[in-house]
Amino acid sequence: MLTLTTPLGKKDVADLKVGDQVMLMGRILCGRDAVLPKIVKMLETNDPGLEKLGLEGSVIFHTAVSCAGIGPTSSNKVEIEGSIPALSAGGVRMHLGKGALKPETVEAMRANGSCFAVTTPTTALFSYRTTSQRVLAFPEEGMEALYEIEVTGLPVIIAAVNGETMFAK
Amino acid sequence: MSITYEDLCKAAQQCLVTAGSSYTPDRLAAYEKAASAEKNDNARWFLQLMLENAQIAQREKLPLCDDTGTPHVLLRIGEQCALPAGWLKAIREGVAAGLLTLPGRPMAVKGDGVQRVEQSQGLFENSDALEHAPVITRSVPGDKLDLAVLMLGGGPEIRARTRRIFHKRSMEKVIGEVAGWLSEEVSLLGCTPAIPAIGIGRSQVEASALMLEAMADGDLSRQNEWERKVVDAVNATNVGPLGLGGRFTVMGCFLKIGPTRASGVRIVSARPCCLVEPRVGKATLG
Repeated sequence: MLTLTTPLGKKDVADLKVGDQVMLMGRILCGRDAVLPKIVKMLETNDPGLEKLGLEGSVIFHTAVSCAGIGPTSSNKVEIEGSIPALSAGGVRMHLGKGALKPETVEAMRANGSCFAVTTPTTALFSYRTTSQRVLAFPEEGMEALYEIEVTGLPVIIAAVNGETMFAK
Repeated sequence: MSITYEDLCKAAQQCLVTAGSSYTPDRLAAYEKAASAEKNDNARWFLQLMLENAQIAQREKLPLCDDTGTPHVLLRIGEQCALPAGWLKAIREGVAAGLLTLPGRPMAVKGDGVQRVEQSQGLFENSDALEHAPVITRSVPGDKLDLAVLMLGGGPEIRARTRRIFHKRSMEKVIGEVAGWLSEEVSLLGCTPAIPAIGIGRSQVEASALMLEAMADGDLSRQNEWERKVVDAVNATNVGPLGLGGRFTVMGCFLKIGPTRASGVRIVSARPCCLVEPRVGKATLG
């Protein structure tokens, strides 16, 4: 199993293969249906607020954050999958969630040096391995706000990288 | 023994916490067996993580999944069972208390009808703002009350279908078509292995209620030939745990057939329950 600590570089992503088991460490952004389109809009308008989000080299986990914990939501929901190309161009290196993505999304990630990983809804386990969490933006969205968390080991499998995907097999 | 308001309230609370934080013994046994039998390394790794998660959740009474789900209540009321005044209110209070205890994810949406649809007014911050779905009741022989609280998550909801099947007087035709729906949906579900729950009835409402009963009553150690046919068909997709490939796309199937009517059509509700579902807590009172 590989261990990767955020922020990730393009080379980190290029070296990955579909099916790699990875333990993620460090800072992870958490956002889903409500906030990802808002970040895309910030990228389109070059919003000065982008700087504090620290997208370059980031991992975005498609999850809500609440007193119940964290866990992947379906990444193929329209607002989530639709945001992946622009977020990849904006510096996000890993999109983390669950479910199959479309071939055009896999191609957009390849073109921008990002990848897609999946993880289980093992919320109780994640709660043990999350050391901090704070709202980074859009607090009005409640559990769907953009959060920043620190993890000491989040297990994932690489599902799409470098134009390859396990879902096409 | 008479049932008090407090009994009902406490039972609903405990059922909700049990539903959200533990697997039934048949499910745990099936997942342990699958983790041993799975040949795909990644799929086996995820099944082992899932079992570790189950141990932590049960020991610490933590949610199995952060999507703690929308509470659904199923009551089988004995024909001779006496219920206390305000019994539905007692259940509602117990569900609310359970949501605070688990804790449930605070995901109730504020506003009027359109505002709720558009999610334009934000979310309630308290877990217990989440209302349970309309209660389903059945009259049964005896003097007991059987209470089941089920927590239905969003992922399977996206992939569930309720619609008609032209049966051509063939169970094979009905089951084959449902297995086809489920095979299309499981790769998009993400959280496999799934357990499909299927209800067959006369209307969309009835089929959905039967599907919920299938979730409440299903047992992986008791599978009939039609349930096994669904399992074999969906497992042939080789989607596997978490879509990683492998033998275990579904662990079993829970089927409930209700009354039918003279017609060429059966109404079928099928839900690919994800790997933390069906989340069920049960109690018998009286």
